[in-house]
Amino acid sequence: MCGIAGIYAYHYAANAVARPELQRIRDHMAARGPDGVGDWYSQDERVGLGHRRLSIIDLSERGAQPMASADGKLVVTFNGEIYNYRELRASLEARGCVFRSQSDTEVLLHLYAEKGEAMVNELRGMFAFGLWDAEKNALLLARDPYGIKPLYYADDGWTFRFASQVKALLAGGKISRDQEPAGWVGFCLFGSVPEPFTTYQEIRALPAGSTLWIDRVGTHEAKQYFSIADTYCRAEAVRSSASDQDLQLVAREMLLDSVRHHLVADVPVGAFLSSGIDSGALVGLMRDAGQQDIQTVTLAFEEFRGRREDESPLAAKVAAQYGTRHTTRFVTEREFRDDLPRILDAMDQPTIDGINTWFVSKAARELGLKVAISGLGGDELFGGYPSFRDVPLCVRVLAVPGRIPGLGDLTRRVLTGLGRFSQTLNPKAAGLLKYGENYAGAYFLRRGLFMPWELQAVIGADIARLGLQRLDPIRHIDALLKPRPRTSFGRIAVLESSLYMRNQLLRDTDWASMAHSLEVRVPLVDLKLLRNLASITARNGLQSKRLLANSLRVPLPLAVIERPKTGFTTPIQTWLQRDKSIQEWRRVPALAVEKCAWARRWAFQVAVAA
Amino acid sequence: MQRPGLRILALVTDAFGGHGGIAQYNRDFLSTLAGCEGVGEVIVLPRASVASAGVLPFGVRQLRPVKNRFAFSLAALRTARAHRPIDVVFCGHLFMAPLAAAIAKLLCARLWVQVHGIEAWDALSGLHRRSVESAALVTSVSRYTRRRLLAWVGIDPARVKVLPNTVEPRFQPGPKPGHLLKRHGVCGKKVLMTVSRLASSERYKGHDRVIRALPQVLLEHPDIAYLIVGEGDDRSRLEALAVECDVAEQVRFAGQVPPDELPDYFRLADVFVMPSTGEGFGIVFLEAMATGIRVIGGNQDGSLDALCDGALGTLVDHENCEELASAIRAALDNPTPTGDRTNRFKPHLFMEHLNALHRFLSAQKSDSCAPLPPSMAMNGTAPAVWL
Repeated sequence: MCGIAGIYAYHYAANAVARPELQRIRDHMAARGPDGVGDWYSQDERVGLGHRRLSIIDLSERGAQPMASADGKLVVTFNGEIYNYRELRASLEARGCVFRSQSDTEVLLHLYAEKGEAMVNELRGMFAFGLWDAEKNALLLARDPYGIKPLYYADDGWTFRFASQVKALLAGGKISRDQEPAGWVGFCLFGSVPEPFTTYQEIRALPAGSTLWIDRVGTHEAKQYFSIADTYCRAEAVRSSASDQDLQLVAREMLLDSVRHHLVADVPVGAFLSSGIDSGALVGLMRDAGQQDIQTVTLAFEEFRGRREDESPLAAKVAAQYGTRHTTRFVTEREFRDDLPRILDAMDQPTIDGINTWFVSKAARELGLKVAISGLGGDELFGGYPSFRDVPLCVRVLAVPGRIPGLGDLTRRVLTGLGRFSQTLNPKAAGLLKYGENYAGAYFLRRGLFMPWELQAVIGADIARLGLQRLDPIRHIDALLKPRPRTSFGRIAVLESSLYMRNQLLRDTDWASMAHSLEVRVPLVDLKLLRNLASITARNGLQSKRLLANSLRVPLPLAVIERPKTGFTTPIQTWLQRDKSIQEWRRVPALAVEKCAWARRWAFQVAVAA
Repeated sequence: MQRPGLRILALVTDAFGGHGGIAQYNRDFLSTLAGCEGVGEVIVLPRASVASAGVLPFGVRQLRPVKNRFAFSLAALRTARAHRPIDVVFCGHLFMAPLAAAIAKLLCARLWVQVHGIEAWDALSGLHRRSVESAALVTSVSRYTRRRLLAWVGIDPARVKVLPNTVEPRFQPGPKPGHLLKRHGVCGKKVLMTVSRLASSERYKGHDRVIRALPQVLLEHPDIAYLIVGEGDDRSRLEALAVECDVAEQVRFAGQVPPDELPDYFRLADVFVMPSTGEGFGIVFLEAMATGIRVIGGNQDGSLDALCDGALGTLVDHENCEELASAIRAALDNPTPTGDRTNRFKPHLFMEHLNALHRFLSAQKSDSCAPLPPSMAMNGTAPAVWL
């Protein structure tokens, strides 16, 4: 896990790469890679690649980056982990490739030399890289299928720049800070900025599961090589007569395989532990995979000590069950206030989440961990969110009235035009008939933060109009359902994985953990696991979580399995509302109403701070 | 005789026989495009009337201009129909984008839109926006214009490329021409120069900023003259301003000069200065630099490209009179000849890049068409099934 950067002055009229600019971009990401630093420039100074290293595999200097092939024709700067690099390496060596290091980075170079950009289909892991091909005079960017690792780029028409963080690109000083309305509108609607947009017009995210070529003519259109929707469609087409017992065996084998791969490291791998099934099951699977010494860490809050919301006693029970070295880290309001400016500074793109990950990552780093396993992705894979139940229900109920032409808009206008009464209504109620009749719309209602007609009051009329025009939120969501899975489970799994998990959970985990130089690994967000389990989970529907719980040799404590899903409760919203330094939301009437959800006020504060 | 290969319909304001920066750009563009690999014929339909189109490059056919907007639209449709199959519709001005997009849609051809400058900086109608969004390729004369276009058009930025102006070989360094020194009474003086129209609608060029900076320059360089080349309805205002600033003696108005004489005019100058805020690119900067004189431009528009972010000349904040005066003094203080600094804008590079853009276009997916097969994109002869 590292920070990567690069500049390619591809246009014939462009100035050569300015080394200080690349170094500014690279060093803005010092926390992503405190163990090493490097850069590389082509002979004609038209290309520069930079790297900040967090050493996890092959800690020696031989693993330093940017790394060039033996003939110097290929150079790569890489962020992430390739979990199947040992298998790939063995296979490449069998075909005559000679390796100079033990790193997974070198595998990328040999694999590219052999397969070209199709190499991405061979990789299992989380990755974002830039690879310079001197013979082609072209740069290849690639990002992992789920979008676990971030990759942003800016092309001003002469010069192409990329980096692991938006703020790093800005730190270079050459990129326009013109705002992107679609990014801001997306943030207000979803609570996170939907890729490929960022809040800056010139900076874009390379979409998850895509590659991008940049050559002398400039940036080509990104090519998608992986689609979650397509994976579910294929899985649903598989007809299986296997018994539940057989399916459970498959699930255990696949989960164990994923966890085993995610433990590959030359440093200790710890784990985040809550009182939920996902993180607990992963700790159990780590034990089943043979890891003897496991350091676990749980986040707790002084306010909750001894109360029902306190997850730490149950987490401690899980830790005891699997014999881990366990730490419960208490966070106080004072610490939160002290950290808030740093949190906002580290927040790469506006988001309403990520604070929990900030503190749990901080705790893990304090324990000396460089790598931690997280249960992120379990709810998307095994249907753990209420949306798996609510969205299909909403679509069924509203399918007929929602299709009556004009009724949705009329209802919305009436319900939002009733003066004070409208303010007492949940803003989503006004959108029920307008959006609730299809999956994209109903999902938007379930996950939406603000409704489109509220944006004018929050971010201004012009930016709201332009952003809505450009983002077209319902079409944006619906495009992710192409091809469209047959089952409602498949559809919601696609939407949760491609929107909420990708743009919110994974991105927040990246900035919040990397700010503490901690690599977070997510074994439940794994391509091979998805391909093997999608047909099973689509068949089992809402009961799928049992597959995970029942995959352990030593079962989870019954209290964990039977605990109702509540979400992770924290006192942070109370702290935020009490903080006198962040009260700008009071200026906006829609946010000042008593019943306003704290996330909406927090979103406004984040936007003000950005 | 028509060559085999792609047939391109170009709708332009003016090109061969026209005057001004856009006409020059279109001539360079269309001549080069006609020479691109795989291109058979470029049919040009201009709007502005010209006395004579002159000798056209091989592969280019320019039709009779049609000035009236409505008649131009009909003529474009008729031309498109009469010259089928058309593979690419080139739209030489943003205002024509809806017409070009409609023709491209009708003929299942690829749309290539060119944007020059100020016309693309602010949002036009929804129809214009959607038309540009349907383009397979948009070329912008500068990064700045590209950025301003992308602020209101929701097209994939990968489809918007930059193709800067190029500079004609006739602009080369040379001695100061004696006849012009005499004509304008600037013998023995250091000459500052601006070349542009003096239109009241184009006050962004910055003549008035230069005039206001002159008193500060004169303190150290009393032997200077400021030669304003170009004509227009704003001249009287500038003359009055020169009087008001007490520099009327130093400011000379050359009026409009014949295009043939322009290289000599540049050679007459020591410093070319145009602190503009409205340049799409500013081809005059290239022409000045090609003749070896120092240049000063504004730092907020397409001038950034012409001066390569300050690598080829000095960029100044247009609002800062002191900064402008200081830049002029520094340029006058430095007598070292610069030579031709426009190597990176030479025609062969323009041609190579245009070829690459043409290949890029051929590989693009269009909203209504499949990508051109590589064999056709390279060799021409489009089968009817594609059109």
